[in-house]
Amino acid sequence: MDKEYFQTLAKQLMFHISEEEAEQLQEEFVILQKQIALLERIDTENVKEMVYPFEAETAFLREDEITHTISREAALSNAQAVMAGHVHVPKVVK
Amino acid sequence: MDIKTMKMQDVKTRVYDAIEKAKQLQPKLNAVVTFVDVEEQLEALKQIPSDAPLYGIPVVLKDNVNTKGILTTASSRILSNYIPVYDAAICEKLKANGAIIIAKASMDELGMGGTNLSAYSGPVHNPYDTTRISGGSSGGSAVLCAAGVAPLTIGTDTGDSIRKPAAYNGVIGVKPTYGRISRYGIIPYASSLDHVGYFTTTVADAAAALHVLAGRDDRDMTTGNEPVPAYESLINDDIHGKRIAVIDNIIEAVKEEAIVQSFESLLTKLEERGAVIEHVRLNDELLSVLLPTYFIIANAEATANHSNLDGIRFGVREAGESVEEVMINSRTKGFSSNIRKRFVIGSYSLFVENQDKLFRKAQKVRRLIVNEVKAVLDQYDMILTTAAPTIAPHPEDSVDEALSDTYLIAENHMIIGNFTGYPCMTMPCGFVSDMPIGIHMMAKPYCEQELFNIGSAIEAETGLKGITAEVKA
Repeated sequence: MDKEYFQTLAKQLMFHISEEEAEQLQEEFVILQKQIALLERIDTENVKEMVYPFEAETAFLREDEITHTISREAALSNAQAVMAGHVHVPKVVK
Repeated sequence: MDIKTMKMQDVKTRVYDAIEKAKQLQPKLNAVVTFVDVEEQLEALKQIPSDAPLYGIPVVLKDNVNTKGILTTASSRILSNYIPVYDAAICEKLKANGAIIIAKASMDELGMGGTNLSAYSGPVHNPYDTTRISGGSSGGSAVLCAAGVAPLTIGTDTGDSIRKPAAYNGVIGVKPTYGRISRYGIIPYASSLDHVGYFTTTVADAAAALHVLAGRDDRDMTTGNEPVPAYESLINDDIHGKRIAVIDNIIEAVKEEAIVQSFESLLTKLEERGAVIEHVRLNDELLSVLLPTYFIIANAEATANHSNLDGIRFGVREAGESVEEVMINSRTKGFSSNIRKRFVIGSYSLFVENQDKLFRKAQKVRRLIVNEVKAVLDQYDMILTTAAPTIAPHPEDSVDEALSDTYLIAENHMIIGNFTGYPCMTMPCGFVSDMPIGIHMMAKPYCEQELFNIGSAIEAETGLKGITAEVKA
């Protein structure tokens, strides 16, 4: 994988990486490939992915009731640019 | 100082003394990101019954715990101006039980590290030797407990982020069962592995703290429905007949002879107290892939969790000609180089063409590791091992939870506790070269009482109950 590959990937994640960072990623991916090879050696035939460690159900569909709301003022309080009660961003249609 | 001793002082004395001590130590330890104004909390304390478990007790929170109206940065530049509009569930519980939050503590950026060298406010220093690291990611909280600033400090643990710094700083570190403490209002790292926990200097305080913090919360649907016992009043240090498993291939991986000797000496003492100690082994092949399994799962989940950090609705915004440019500039400058690289790796393993080979494979291997550990705990009350394999290193010698060509079983075995979700506790067991070392315990799900019971016996043997560090220049 060349440096451009990582820079394109970074752009999809909405940030830039420098030439130097891309080179470091190239080196880290060599190690990653070795580790993937180790993982591949392990037989996971008929093993289910684990996303939650316990069997007991803890989630349920709650009633469709409004709870834990915040005011518009609170919602906008951390935005660095606010205009007319909305988050202000650069013009999309020019 | 423990909670009981601290309660012998009047409320204002203990709170203001704690703040003063933290301020005095700040140039040496750099553990605090934000000092919290306590006046409103002291006023609100008048409405709390004076027999509340944490009445007027100073408490420190890791800076990934949302605190209404108080800066919460997760030690990342992108959140360095973020002021939450709500309290995390644990803040509500702490305040309802009388705690006074005095400070927000430094951490590795977004929790993604094990050294606390990556904090936006700079490295945190070990109170036993300030040239050494605190460990992370909950480094600030560990250090403030160890230095005797507060008897209870809150941390989070995704891949040993409470337990490793607890071992490095000579305090008790508790990572309870997955879902035992609500994560509502915690800035996440990797949701399937994230736990809330804490640091104390005594087992009794650890038990009292869990009684306050644990319980079901519908705002965090992963919290369990199990009742919360009054752990502290149930502590029983009679360990006759307790079956304790020692994982030999973890101990064999520890190269520091003095740490192994201290551990073996403790085993002898526990046997003399009537415990049944037996030696078992885990599958070597599974132990060798602990780190890559963790690395793939944690980074993939982190990439998704942190996609909302874009500088638009909250966080530091960088200028740009378009929305896209604002986001790209904000995320480029907002995250450190290391975090961006980890997001790239996480995203790579989530690509459709890589998911089976990487992400799902790691999730399957996680299940095999958990099954292996469960089989041991089906036969025993507890698994006991060393905690960190070395004393706290100097920064240049530290090993972060990054990709490494060596598979450091001794360095990374505590992440098994994050894979399983089983309750774990580290506690100090001695000193090597004047630096604290620790042991690590793991019990069956929701059996934290077992940790406190056996931990209480260990505390009696080590004589390290309530120890704190005297910070030198």
